[in-house]
Amino acid sequence: MALQRYTKSVDGTIPIQALMYNDEELISTQDGIGIYDGLQKSLDHQSGIVHVTSQRLFYIDATKKASRSFSLALSHVSRTDYYAGLFSSSPKVTLHLSIEDPASEEPSGFGSWECEVCAYRNPPGLSPSAARVCALCGVPRSLPAKSASSASSEVPQPNIDSSFPTSASTSALPQRFRKPSSISCPACTFLNHPYMQTCEICSTPLPKASGDHTYIEAKSAPTTRPTTPGLNDNDIGSKMLKLSFRKGGDKVFYTALKRSLKGRAWEITPSNAGTNGARSGISGIMQAVETNAQNRDTDMSNALQDLEALMVKAKDMVRLAAELNERLTASSTTTANDPYSSVLSSTPTEPEEATFIRSSLSQLGLQMENTPVTLDMMKDEREWMEQLARELASILQGSEKVSSSSSSGGMMKKRGIIALDEVWGGWNRARGVALIPPSTFLEVIPHLPAFTNPTITSRTLNSGLAVLHTPPYSRAAFAARICGLLALAGPKSTTEIAQEEDITIGLTVEMLIIVEEDGDVCRDDGQSVIQEKKGDILVLGEVNWWANLFIGYTWDGQE
Amino acid sequence: MALSTHTTTTGFLLPSIHSAPPFFTQQPHPSSLSIATEQWIQIILKYSRHRRLFTIRVEDSETTGHDWDEVLRNERINRKVLPSYLSYILAQMVSQKLAAYEPPKQDRSVLIYWRLPEEWAEVLHEWVSSTGHLNTIMTFYEITDPPIESPLSGLPIPLLRQAITILSKTNRAQIIAIADGEGVRFFPSTGKA
Repeated sequence: MALQRYTKSVDGTIPIQALMYNDEELISTQDGIGIYDGLQKSLDHQSGIVHVTSQRLFYIDATKKASRSFSLALSHVSRTDYYAGLFSSSPKVTLHLSIEDPASEEPSGFGSWECEVCAYRNPPGLSPSAARVCALCGVPRSLPAKSASSASSEVPQPNIDSSFPTSASTSALPQRFRKPSSISCPACTFLNHPYMQTCEICSTPLPKASGDHTYIEAKSAPTTRPTTPGLNDNDIGSKMLKLSFRKGGDKVFYTALKRSLKGRAWEITPSNAGTNGARSGISGIMQAVETNAQNRDTDMSNALQDLEALMVKAKDMVRLAAELNERLTASSTTTANDPYSSVLSSTPTEPEEATFIRSSLSQLGLQMENTPVTLDMMKDEREWMEQLARELASILQGSEKVSSSSSSGGMMKKRGIIALDEVWGGWNRARGVALIPPSTFLEVIPHLPAFTNPTITSRTLNSGLAVLHTPPYSRAAFAARICGLLALAGPKSTTEIAQEEDITIGLTVEMLIIVEEDGDVCRDDGQSVIQEKKGDILVLGEVNWWANLFIGYTWDGQE
Repeated sequence: MALSTHTTTTGFLLPSIHSAPPFFTQQPHPSSLSIATEQWIQIILKYSRHRRLFTIRVEDSETTGHDWDEVLRNERINRKVLPSYLSYILAQMVSQKLAAYEPPKQDRSVLIYWRLPEEWAEVLHEWVSSTGHLNTIMTFYEITDPPIESPLSGLPIPLLRQAITILSKTNRAQIIAIADGEGVRFFPSTGKA
């Protein structure tokens, strides 16, 4: 009986943390617990985990989590007894439950609601006590008014008429259902919301509104209630629950339960309840917003600290891997150098292990040959730059090892010219996590020719586009090639040249403009075409490039 | 690829470069541009002398059916001069004193000096003395539209006025106001004779 009346069934498949209210705290957990409903064993609840929180007690059934789990609000517990157990009887904790009918409690604690004073939408998941006031402005929730109106709809008018003398009902009704009116401040006459205790403008304590009184009356005395608890008043079993500790842990659990009961967290309105008077009103809202921001700040910095700590750990791991690798190399070289050991010991297994460790290291992304060069690995800044340049060179042209093993060469294996942004992106992709900032990248570029063959140099085109290129794409070489092409094959459009050179059209235009600057080519703009309609389409040509025919031209027209 | 000269229907011999498409584009490269522009000025001057044309307008590059068609367009290679380029060429001509904006204070049309005003002054004086009009008063109309075709036929009034001004500086002509406008009286050249 007590089980039905005082507990609420919960879905035990949801983790306990998600079942708790936001301001609830998990205090203790014990498994292997059976439940006695009154004096009888409750057959459905014989093995489960019990959690004690600051506000409630959860029973999560071990077998049928979804259907048989329940929660019990600690506010119902009036007294507890402890029984240490004897022989085969397990230790038990008896919870004596108060008479107050639990059904009347707990408005919908879950579910968000909007404060009718400040229109703040309160988040769901607060405990019933916390949900009673608005989290932002501290004004009590107007829910009881709703329950009063719902009571009025449930109880038909004639019923009241018949049960009360007419005179009483007429006098009671207007009082009960009258909407609480606003309270005029005695000092400044501002009309405050009825739930305010001090004036919102001048903070003068307000007299209790008459409406306030009626609302309490409406809440505490619904017409149908008082009979229910009375029915089983004499039945002791209906007012207790027993927890049977089949697997021990009873003492720890009992102290936790006691502490939780002593704390009476369900009676304490939210943490800032002490300053409730000052908190309500506009200053209260400001204060709440400020504390929120502060909390978020600290949360954020904590999170970032975690991240930094993780990075430190990762560095340690890389170092560890490096050491391991070195040791492996050392041991394998010694075994190789020492003829006796190679003959005597059954060494074949050792290299195998070593390669296994190496391969797992590489699978973790910690392969030593390929580890990205990072600043702290290099002592000297110059050496660091050169190492970076070497690494970049291998990415651009493909290192000997890589090119022999895999088909993919470097980025510039087949291309003679490549834009800087693409190089930067490609390099960082190859490095993985230890990314290179653009500034460092630009510093590395001048070192590049020393480590590349054919040399790769950088060059900035007119539009500001910087490229890396091999010798065939230097200014003079490219101009000479284009001139040769035009002289041999006649005028070419930009697209044709781009195809010929196998570079993008945009890049081709840039390069050609530079060649044009040198006066080696001249252009024939498609806009100069006499506009002709072929079919319905207006044909506009693109730019065609000619060898420069102006230089050395002499007049051969009419004298 | 070989570029060749071309004789137009009016009998003008166009240079070979006129058959090269790049010639019709305003070249970004400065030296190419100056060479091309120089050639354009030559063509315009020689063609205007050939056809006795005195004005060219930027609009001529946008429309067809006028005196400059043969030069500003080349149907054989499907190219034409863009107005922006023609405007640049005309500006170059003005700066080289080979043309003048006419009317002044705009840059859409120019008076072409295929003879310089000084040369026109000499031609004018020679024509006046050879036809025996010295010391008589002549109207502008009598000079620009004589009954017998002369080197001065069709000469634009602004150009004529410039020539007369040059002559009057050496006391060989004098502008006189007459009943229906302006007249001019020429004197024998004192310096030489």
